[in-house]
Amino acid sequence: MDVLARYMYYVGGAGLILIGLYMVLAKTNLIKIILGLSFLDTGTHVLLVAVGYVRGRTAPIFSEGVPEATPVVDPVPQALVLTAIVIGIGVIALALGLAVRVYRHYGTLDVRQIKGLKW
Amino acid sequence: MVGGALLIAIPLASAFAIPLVGLALKRAAKWVPPLALAADLVIGLILLPRVLEKPIIVSIGGFPPPFCINLMVGPLGLSLAILISFVALLISIYAVGYIKTEPTEKYHALFLLLTTGALGVVLTGDIFNLFVFFEILCVASYALTAYRKDRAGSEAAMKYLIQGTVGSTFILVGIAFLYGLFGTLNMADIAARVPSAEPLHLFVILAFFIVGFGVEAAVFPLNAWLPDAHSSAPSSVSAILSAIAIKTGVYAIARVSYTLMNARGVLVLISAIGIVTLVIGEMAAYRQKDDIKRMLAYSSVGQIGLIVFAIGMATSFGLFGALFQLVNHALAKCLLFLAAGYMIYRVGSKRLADMDGLGRSMPLTTLAFSVGAFSLIGLPPFAGFMSKLSIVCAALETQRAAYLALVAVALAATIVEAGYFFRVVQGFYFRKQVAPDSDRQPIKETPAGALMPIVVLAVLIVVVGVYPGLVTNALRGAANELVNRTEYIRVVLGTP
Repeated sequence: MDVLARYMYYVGGAGLILIGLYMVLAKTNLIKIILGLSFLDTGTHVLLVAVGYVRGRTAPIFSEGVPEATPVVDPVPQALVLTAIVIGIGVIALALGLAVRVYRHYGTLDVRQIKGLKW
Repeated sequence: MVGGALLIAIPLASAFAIPLVGLALKRAAKWVPPLALAADLVIGLILLPRVLEKPIIVSIGGFPPPFCINLMVGPLGLSLAILISFVALLISIYAVGYIKTEPTEKYHALFLLLTTGALGVVLTGDIFNLFVFFEILCVASYALTAYRKDRAGSEAAMKYLIQGTVGSTFILVGIAFLYGLFGTLNMADIAARVPSAEPLHLFVILAFFIVGFGVEAAVFPLNAWLPDAHSSAPSSVSAILSAIAIKTGVYAIARVSYTLMNARGVLVLISAIGIVTLVIGEMAAYRQKDDIKRMLAYSSVGQIGLIVFAIGMATSFGLFGALFQLVNHALAKCLLFLAAGYMIYRVGSKRLADMDGLGRSMPLTTLAFSVGAFSLIGLPPFAGFMSKLSIVCAALETQRAAYLALVAVALAATIVEAGYFFRVVQGFYFRKQVAPDSDRQPIKETPAGALMPIVVLAVLIVVVGVYPGLVTNALRGAANELVNRTEYIRVVLGTP
């Protein structure tokens, strides 16, 4: 239990990634697959933040009233996550847009019936 | 020293300028990509002699590396950047007349963004920056695949997007682990610290990277999207995807396994994956008796396999062969897709049987197509011969049983490749045209604007084949950059 508490964020991030992978691989509804992609993204973000987290330190923001010697966590992974979130949103938006287009052509979101091209 | 950053900045800025130009003058918008890419090509060629002597490091933000994001304009990055600008320039000239689906501004902006992504990937010296440019490239190519909004394009883009995004996630996880291990994202800095890490950790990270980049590079178990996407996209998009986009994946695999990880131990494995990809790709291409673009797409899978095989050889000569093959495949496959684009347009069908006898009605296009096909097979006067010869010689030079066996398989796969390309060329010249419908107009030659890039590529393939010295000098420097990683670290970090 102690180990789990210590590596909680890593376990959470990896868990989200695995859930996302499962959804992408096993679900047949296109929207669920896209949700799976979103899970994958989120899991990676949690993992990235966990990498930079140091127990007992605060957010890396300097402002008035906060002494400059306050220990903070590593800000670089957070910057990376911000970038990755933006990219993720773009990709998911494009994916949903494409799903709409696919639905217009095929009349279904079931990937087993979307077989215009050979798999 | 500004030149290095301009290589990326010009296409990026032009991409966003296109809608504005289109607003002011609708007809001018489509000429922005050729202009921007021509400027890039010129800058690249001006920088090349200087870079071959000493790589240029561009530090963004004024901090010295490793504290900033730096661009590494070395021989490898710049040679590939020149190749990308050149191929993209020719494709954009072709696209001026070829792309008619409105709104064309969107196409041209996305096309330039794709090029920006590819240029960024090969020039950057920061692993997260590489990921960002890689995503720019990927997102632009998903959108371009579905550009025509037709049934096949939407479905292919959807498949491409799902597989590509899973791949990108793997890359990001690999980056997270790398940062956790070393606390830095600068590639030279990571490379300098790699000896202190445990091999198992490095192996896991490398596996994440190879899977992630492998999706874009379309190595064997991850290539399901490629034949669909490349055959359903508009032909000019197929050309840039085949010539540039998949090559950046290969570049990233090479960069990570050589410069970053120094992973000599797993390179045989990479070679083996390459050969499996080659065999599967060529055999699948042989089976495509119907759809010309699908055949070309599977042929790309095979060629990528050959390049990856040569990358795994871990010798300077082997890498030189890989890069030479990469350049030749980019030129030849671009030519084939561009030529196929207008043949499909004129005939009105993608079926190979309908293209019988085209040698009479479209003599120049089919001649260029034959030159590209012969170059890919590796017939002597064309460029592909020299690169395949280098790869075979390099494999013989390693004198290791594994590589000798693999290269034998590669040569056998070349025969299959010759089989399907000869079938097409034979159809052009020696089979009668299917009786055209009476109300159809006779098939005309490709219009001059689109024929120009095709002919330039065909001429270049012959010139490089006859006089390989034109490119070998730069590629030798590029191969040395990959092999000699201590030099890379020294140049970027500036430590003696």
